[in-house]
Amino acid sequence: MSNTVIEKSTVIEIQNIKKHFKDIKAVDGVSLNIQKGELFSILGPNGAGKSTLARLLTTVLTPTSGDATIKGHSIKTGKSSIIKLIGVCPQEIVIYDILTAEENVIFVAQMHDIPFKKAKEKAKTLLEKLDIGGRKIWAKKFSGGMKRRLNLIMALVHEPEILFLDEPTAGLDPQARRIVWDFIRDLKNKGVTIVLMTHDMIEADSLSDHVAIIDHGKIIAQGSPTELKEKHGSENVIEITFSEKEDLNIVKNQCDNISSVNNYNVIGERTLLISFKGGMKNFIEIFQKLILVENINDVETMNFRQNTLEDVFLNLTGRRLRD
Amino acid sequence: MDILDKKMIVIAIKNLKDSFRRWEYYLFSLGFPIMFTFLFYFILGSQGISNGLSSFDYGFPGMIIYATSVGTVSAAIGFASDKSSGMLERLDTMPTGRKNVFLGSLISESITLTLQIIIMFVLGYVILGVYFNNLLGLLIGFLVSLLFGISAVGMGIIIASVSKTPQIANGFSLMYYLPILFISGSLMPFESPIVYFTPPYWAKQVYMQITVMGHGLEEQLYSSSLIGYTAEAIPIPIWGGVLIIFGFTLIFIILGIIIFQKKTKF
Repeated sequence: MSNTVIEKSTVIEIQNIKKHFKDIKAVDGVSLNIQKGELFSILGPNGAGKSTLARLLTTVLTPTSGDATIKGHSIKTGKSSIIKLIGVCPQEIVIYDILTAEENVIFVAQMHDIPFKKAKEKAKTLLEKLDIGGRKIWAKKFSGGMKRRLNLIMALVHEPEILFLDEPTAGLDPQARRIVWDFIRDLKNKGVTIVLMTHDMIEADSLSDHVAIIDHGKIIAQGSPTELKEKHGSENVIEITFSEKEDLNIVKNQCDNISSVNNYNVIGERTLLISFKGGMKNFIEIFQKLILVENINDVETMNFRQNTLEDVFLNLTGRRLRD
Repeated sequence: MDILDKKMIVIAIKNLKDSFRRWEYYLFSLGFPIMFTFLFYFILGSQGISNGLSSFDYGFPGMIIYATSVGTVSAAIGFASDKSSGMLERLDTMPTGRKNVFLGSLISESITLTLQIIIMFVLGYVILGVYFNNLLGLLIGFLVSLLFGISAVGMGIIIASVSKTPQIANGFSLMYYLPILFISGSLMPFESPIVYFTPPYWAKQVYMQITVMGHGLEEQLYSSSLIGYTAEAIPIPIWGGVLIIFGFTLIFIILGIIIFQKKTKF
């Protein structure tokens, strides 16, 4: 498929937006620019403020302070214009259980002023594309994965210019997740601007042009996945889980004496992540030095892998995304 | 205001599909009026009063008004369920219009209400032989109870708008529905001017006077006065009572749209 050539321009401009619920600062001064045709991920753990930010940008919530514009329309005053431009796939599965998949899609299409006949055709195409068989069956009889895919279709049946996806693949099996990812890539290739809220670093890494990492309602880093991994971590990581937690401290101290080690992080009580630059040569050097350490019991697992966005988050916050 | 927006019809059809496909709907929404009518008949059917009419004949209009008031509770619960499931929030991100959501729900609930009234009318007037003056009066009685029922549904949706969960909506609607029925005197006489401030009083009084009391519809509707809480005539003709019910219904719908638009912000 040939990709649509997209002229870059800012379609979403967020200016120091805040949303406080009493003492809880769900979104705390976020400023971002999202370009047309971009797949922009907001990556963060549960409770970081992703969904609140999505609800602000889709005009469901009103900001405590600050503002954002979608194609020049303020989320405070331009709701009626904005909702014609966007599609929203909420984190929760929000479908009518007693309607069929087709009826659910047609209903949403009609809310977007699409005539019944055209809505029916679009429903058929989309349901087939996302592998939802039995479109005449009540949605309550669907598996969790099928319901989630239906949830997604309902967000895009009207072909929005801007699509907000809040954890669109949560709870999907790997095969279904792959179908949804391919579908999202397809939409991006057609020029749709996609704002993806996710806590899945593999999803953010493999799909995004740009990633903003959010924690405690603040954006703590942003850039392309490659930029983030280069800036906030090393190329490679050795992840060791020890049988005994005392061994972790011994090896950790040894790391201070190895020049190729950039930094290390302790996860829980028995897991050590060692970040280093350079490829196999440095890995062998580190490995040799570590196995020479005396009085170490067996290790449970040892992985050598490339740096991920999970490591970026760990380096920035000292916590893992899934913690 | 664009009253006949197609989207409100789409919403109403969706709601009706959602109802008609649930067995609970048949048991509770359609089974309830059957149970209620027979219950009333067994309690009041054998108690004679005067002119050959039983307590059941006199009490039937009040029973219809009582039963249609249940629309407040069912509308409140149904609407609050949509709210708590996230569907209202989802609809809020589409160019649906909250007015259409409100009016669509009002239409679908009113259709259920119509079915309930038809069931009670058929049982009461056709099967159990409840007394009525003439068919045209009965039709007016039907429309009066439907109009009153719509106001009850409107109130139910207003209650749901300010309730966070279906359980809270259920509680609030019962707190409205039960006292209002007693203080309106629609179920049993209540000698207080408070009755004039309640929609069920006017609905029951108009409906009863047109279908049970007096002779000749035209005379009844235009010349007869409504009977007040002291059992004396008040200077309001029966058609004036119809206007009052219409006024209450209109107020509840307008209030409903306003409150729904304000109170369903997330």
